[in-house]
Amino acid sequence: MHRYLRFPFMLASFLVAVACHAATEQTLTTEDDLGPQVQQPIEFPHYRHAGNRNPVDPTNSDPTKGGMEINCQYCHTYARRSLTAGIPPLQKCVGCHQNIPTVRDKPRIVELFKYWDAKKAIPWKKVHDLPDFVRFNHERHIKRFIEQQGRPVQEVCGYCHGQVKEMVTARRQKPITMGWCVSCHMKEHVVVAKGAIPEGGTPIGKQDYWYTFQKPAETRNAEGELTAKGPNDCWLCHK
Amino acid sequence: MSVTNLLNNWAAVRHFHPIDDKPHDPYKWAMAIDLDACIGCNACAVACYAENNLPVVGREKFQHGQAMHWMRIERYWNEDSREFPDQGAEFLPMMCQQCEAAPCETVCPVGATNHTQDGLNSQIYNRCIGSRYCSANCPYKVRYFNWYDYPTTDNVWPAEMNYQLNPDVTVRGKGVMEKCTFCVQRLRAAEVTAKGEGRIVREGEVQTACQQSCPTNAISFGNLVDPESRVYKQWKAQQVDLAKDEQEKDKREGGTDLRGYRIFEDLRPYPSVMYLERVRESAV
Repeated sequence: MHRYLRFPFMLASFLVAVACHAATEQTLTTEDDLGPQVQQPIEFPHYRHAGNRNPVDPTNSDPTKGGMEINCQYCHTYARRSLTAGIPPLQKCVGCHQNIPTVRDKPRIVELFKYWDAKKAIPWKKVHDLPDFVRFNHERHIKRFIEQQGRPVQEVCGYCHGQVKEMVTARRQKPITMGWCVSCHMKEHVVVAKGAIPEGGTPIGKQDYWYTFQKPAETRNAEGELTAKGPNDCWLCHK
Repeated sequence: MSVTNLLNNWAAVRHFHPIDDKPHDPYKWAMAIDLDACIGCNACAVACYAENNLPVVGREKFQHGQAMHWMRIERYWNEDSREFPDQGAEFLPMMCQQCEAAPCETVCPVGATNHTQDGLNSQIYNRCIGSRYCSANCPYKVRYFNWYDYPTTDNVWPAEMNYQLNPDVTVRGKGVMEKCTFCVQRLRAAEVTAKGEGRIVREGEVQTACQQSCPTNAISFGNLVDPESRVYKQWKAQQVDLAKDEQEKDKREGGTDLRGYRIFEDLRPYPSVMYLERVRESAV
């Protein structure tokens, strides 16, 4: 190739590469970005356990329709008291299912009891896998939204995990990136003060004080309620 | 560090300490170390290694000054016409002083080290690019740089030893700066528990690893804005004020017999660690 053609050629290939990349690359900051479909050892039907009851069929005899409305925290019991939500031990599955003879011969349940008889844990795979330097605290969010503000459990879990109650095996619906987390923390939330410490609210109002060395002005929304941002301390998650 | 700070008159801002506006609410973590009780046993340093996943670098790298001891015991020899110089050994546990106006924070090009609301000087490993400017600007020389990828280096955590790593603390990779965190993983756990119960962390509820392991209780740690805490009482009794670069007691004619002091106070970093001077035989 002629020397004077080299640069335009390289420029053109670069632009083509960028265009292809932009066309194929999925953006991570969309509202409902799906994660990869993770293959689990047993296809656990979340919709059947946590999904809404079928009003026409209150006995839930048709497995394709209604759910049991089981609280997320019944199985993911560690969420309210530790950093991680955790997956239930096999004992918890069997604890119920040994008393449900009607589904005992279903292929998923047969598979479940194979693990139980072999005394082996089910090797579930992680769906919402954060990098090792991130320590998201489930407990704090559960305490704030469910216990202090009394919001419905499935709604609160759904803020980050999406509509798990409609899924079979869980799949990541939200980006779960730091920018996505911070987008909520940077909003002005109403401060729910109870007693000496602002409860229900991490919003303390002085969070960004040390970053600016200026006392932040008191912020109020249109209804005149005191508002503040969520914590922006890096050391809450990265340590 | 925001750009707004840099655009404003930075020097004027840094001249005063804004503690009068009560930014530390409800926590200000601080420490007091009684050098008279310190016997230089190094238990604190060992506890720190275990708690914070510090790599043991070995003799050769140690001699190159690449040791990663967040908590180190500095030795001084006060011979004082003794028969054996060893009798005059004095020890000073030195770790990050969690300065209120930290010199390291202002120079970080990427804002990887910040001040937290509860008065800690945070170090964010995944944000650090390894410029080492903070270490250069630290008057206490308590920041340590990962010159090697220690998790993959031989004999740092040989097989099965990796199971003893603390899961609450990041295992740092090559090229990031690290330093004492006042065991922030314990503080945050205690703060979250307390907040869930609608109270603040009580005195004695949280301990740092060094404090926990000290056989002579030389180290006390707690919330400096809590009048019930031991550390508050000690600072008060020694008339050491966090927000001053020269204490009132030192300005007095003829000095003072109070033992409390902070290292390099006059440099105005406003350190959060108070030391209690060793009582020397000559002074008794």
